[in-house]
Amino acid sequence: MSLRGSVSRIRFDHVFQRFRVIDERPDTLREITARIFRRRSQFHLFEALKDLSFQVEDGELLGIVGRNGSGKSTTLKLIAQVYRPTTGKISANGRVAALIELGAGFHGDLTGRENIVINGLMLGLTRRQIRDCEKRIIEFAELDKFIDSPVKQYSSGMYMRLGFAIAVEVDPDILLIDEILAVGDAAFQRKCLDRIKDFQRRGKTILYVSHAMESVKKLCTRAILLHEGTLIANGSPDEVYERYNEILYKPVLKQ
Amino acid sequence: MLQLFREISQNRELIWALALKDLRVRYKRSVLGFLWALLNPLFMMVILTVVFSVFMRLAIDHYAVFLLVAILPWTFFSQALSYSVESIVGNGELLKKLYIQKSVFPIAAVLANLINFLLSLIPLIFLLLVLRFPFYWTWLYLPFPLICLIAFTLGFGFFCAAINVFFRDVAHIVQIVLSGWFYCSPIIYSQDFIPLKYSFFYHLNPMVFILNGFRMSIYYGKLPTIQSAAMSLVCGLVFLVLGYLVFRRYQDSFVYYL
Repeated sequence: MSLRGSVSRIRFDHVFQRFRVIDERPDTLREITARIFRRRSQFHLFEALKDLSFQVEDGELLGIVGRNGSGKSTTLKLIAQVYRPTTGKISANGRVAALIELGAGFHGDLTGRENIVINGLMLGLTRRQIRDCEKRIIEFAELDKFIDSPVKQYSSGMYMRLGFAIAVEVDPDILLIDEILAVGDAAFQRKCLDRIKDFQRRGKTILYVSHAMESVKKLCTRAILLHEGTLIANGSPDEVYERYNEILYKPVLKQ
Repeated sequence: MLQLFREISQNRELIWALALKDLRVRYKRSVLGFLWALLNPLFMMVILTVVFSVFMRLAIDHYAVFLLVAILPWTFFSQALSYSVESIVGNGELLKKLYIQKSVFPIAAVLANLINFLLSLIPLIFLLLVLRFPFYWTWLYLPFPLICLIAFTLGFGFFCAAINVFFRDVAHIVQIVLSGWFYCSPIIYSQDFIPLKYSFFYHLNPMVFILNGFRMSIYYGKLPTIQSAAMSLVCGLVFLVLGYLVFRRYQDSFVYYL
């Protein structure tokens, strides 16, 4: 992939994303037969993103904020290629690593070590790379005593630490982080934040979704605010924070 | 087709790891572990042998061997199919969060069962030795029907895995179809039992040709006819291509239905 000098790392062009939402599940045989005669009314379309356009450059740490259901996670999943946009264009150049759900794909009956291999392969590492960084992963996750126990016995903090430790070894060009640091304790959170800043220093692009406005303000170089699938603010974290507060409390004030 | 081979070679480490994971989870926490992959078919074979050579004596010589050489590939087919039907839906949570080449899941499901099948050949050989059944040179021919069987199974698995995402009924239908299909294939009986007037319909079943390859080379010690061999190859390839095309056609929409 050769890049022209002026091409952004990530670019969204008028992206719309629609989902089918299942309205209700027919529970009884009678309902099902009723359904057959009135075919195709079992779901409605939901527009998660409406005409979203933005760009992210190398070395930026972009915070994405917004209320629940505003389209933050959808945006990340589009970059990670989990979804394809319904209409519009997305370009994301380079290797993407998504910390959308840590430990997605861990198998409870397998040990931490076995899961490192499977998870690493799923994230795109090769067998050899995994062997080389296995030690670092275990160390970073602080799991040396439990690494050969099945992960179903792990606490949620241990689970998350292992997931994070594997994901950062992928060494991506674009790192997507979705509200994952909430689980670990303060010491581990600091370690993760250091790691994230380290990525940024090396000129990588990071998208950071969080409800913890403080960490967005502290970490991010820029932020965008999504509301019901549209972008309503784009600027410095402080400015965006103010707009966000307005939205957060508006419905309350109206009453 | 080339695309399929590219996907397999790009993801070969992941496919291999997923297949091993399947097996490992299957035998996890059992005292004998992987030995079950050998013991399971062994006990099944011993039971069938005892039943058919002591209690029920049929007109077919060495009926136990006759049966086993068809039932083992069939078991591979039916188990691999049951696994791959569920492979996309079962990994749905994962596919909603990570971008992974989706074809790796049905492929790994087939591979896991293929390993199981190959392991089950060890007790088969052991049993043949015990029964003093001759080993014909036609064993060398076995890779051919095996490749046809893998292609057929994989193609069918791709197809069912894809459709099952949209209609979960498929997983149930497959189970029913499999149990009927078992009796419509030359497993417990010989093809010669089929009356001539139904022969045409009977041969619409691709498994007739594929299983014939296994039985001819191990049990009869002969090569199947050219037509039969060609038919099994054609069926295998046609199903592989069609199944894969269907899978590719719909794979981008899977995530919205999981």
